[in-house]
Amino acid sequence: MLRSFSDQLPLVDIVKATKVYPPNIVAIQNISLSVAKGELLFLTGMSGAGKSTLLKLMCAIEQPTKGVVEVGGLDLAKTNPAVIQQLRQEIGVIYQDFKLLPKQTVFQNIAMPMEVAYRDQREINQRVDQLLKLLLISHKRDIETGKLSRGEQQRVAIARAAANSPALLLADEPTGNLDPETSSLVMGLFEQLHREGTTLIIASHDEALYRNTGYRRVELEHGLFTNHSSPRQLTLPISGSLYGSRAETA
Amino acid sequence: MGLKSYFHLKQVGHNFRQNWPTQLMTLLTITLSVLIFSFFLLIYLNVVNLGEQLGDELRLVVYLDNEVAPALQPLLRDKITAYAKVDKVLFISRAEAYSRLQKQLNKEKDLLADLGPEFLPPSIEVYPEKSLHSFSRLKEFSDLLATLPGAQKVQYGQEWLERFGYFTELLRVIVGLSGTLLILATGFMVSCTIRLTVVAKESELEILRLVGASNRYIQSPLFFEGTLQGLIGSALGLILLYTIFIWTKTHLGGPGLLNLLQFTFLPATTTALIIGGTTLLCAWGSLLSIRKQMRI
Repeated sequence: MLRSFSDQLPLVDIVKATKVYPPNIVAIQNISLSVAKGELLFLTGMSGAGKSTLLKLMCAIEQPTKGVVEVGGLDLAKTNPAVIQQLRQEIGVIYQDFKLLPKQTVFQNIAMPMEVAYRDQREINQRVDQLLKLLLISHKRDIETGKLSRGEQQRVAIARAAANSPALLLADEPTGNLDPETSSLVMGLFEQLHREGTTLIIASHDEALYRNTGYRRVELEHGLFTNHSSPRQLTLPISGSLYGSRAETA
Repeated sequence: MGLKSYFHLKQVGHNFRQNWPTQLMTLLTITLSVLIFSFFLLIYLNVVNLGEQLGDELRLVVYLDNEVAPALQPLLRDKITAYAKVDKVLFISRAEAYSRLQKQLNKEKDLLADLGPEFLPPSIEVYPEKSLHSFSRLKEFSDLLATLPGAQKVQYGQEWLERFGYFTELLRVIVGLSGTLLILATGFMVSCTIRLTVVAKESELEILRLVGASNRYIQSPLFFEGTLQGLIGSALGLILLYTIFIWTKTHLGGPGLLNLLQFTFLPATTTALIIGGTTLLCAWGSLLSIRKQMRI
């Protein structure tokens, strides 16, 4: 569905979206945003700016009070629930509260998106082990996620979102509980997915994550866009072995 | 096995392990319901069978004032067969009746030494066809035979047949009631188990939906769960019944009533119908419950 979507049209298209929670809490206001297929976008802003709300609209967990949210050309508010479920198989989401099943093991949690997509068991085993190795939690494979530290849980949530090689990955504060080294690993995974064609939207207030990257950044404040940086505006090179350095684009 | 079925059955196994006390209670209820129903059905079928066996020996005896002359016998025979189809009609003279009585008395036949055959009335023995074997039809036929010329009385074991008929009727009602119990108990238990499973798995179902699980992926394991409970429960119930049956035959068999009755277990078709019916019932019950619980 999303993988075969046209490259010429935005994969995510939000038009004048407003979300008001009862009784009268305005989470986002009149937001318009287009994300191209294969793009990596940072959604930044302080806590409570509306980043999570925007991501929830993109994966149809919430519906906008006003405006339109389209993913893969489908208006999510008007799409059949069965089609939404199909769409979700191509969207990986890293939730701020992880949403793991504490009584199930790390393997079972990560395998879940692939099982609902009826992937072959051998393929599932292979992919899960690959992700565990990448995120340095192979030794926790058969441990219940309820017994892990927050940092480990976060890595499991990241692995689950990436498991199905999604066409669209939405990450809500993916490195909030991670040390700088592990954060680098995570960004490495994101970049790998990006190279494979995944569209990524990463919501984070961690400046270290998006500073000096070559990627577009939009900033939210009190539910409104305040800054919309193109790759051209980002100037500083990135240090560190995983990123290499990115020169300023004039 | 298809990939989809594999994942669904894997989920069923997971549900059984997670919720085993409830699953066990449901299984037990289904097993006991099937056992109770099948037990009464077994007795009922054997009683009906007994009735048919005894029915082979059934005859109506028309006691007459005087013996029927040989020339008139064909006329009477025609008149009787005009009423209804019969297997045979026998004319029993006083002498023949006397001879039979002597044989029955066996060693005691000396009791008849001073008595001649005159005290015994002549009779006509009518052996009705199986189609006449319902009590009401026999009574009707008996009333007709009582109108034959010279007929004093008609006997066919009325009292015994009446009681047997009532007993069979009672068994039929009990079978019906236990069948109703089976349906209600099974449906209710399966429905409750599914409901409890859905409530227990609420967070899991929420996350399954978030990662894109289809309705089929979520519903199928629950549907399989209910179906399996029906299949296993009914099979266990019948195995238990068979065990009781064999034990009864072994320990209470030998010379006596059970030997005479040729007590047999349920026919294979009936067994298959009970298992199939219970399985379908549980499948249907779980499907209704899933749809209601998950508002799909």
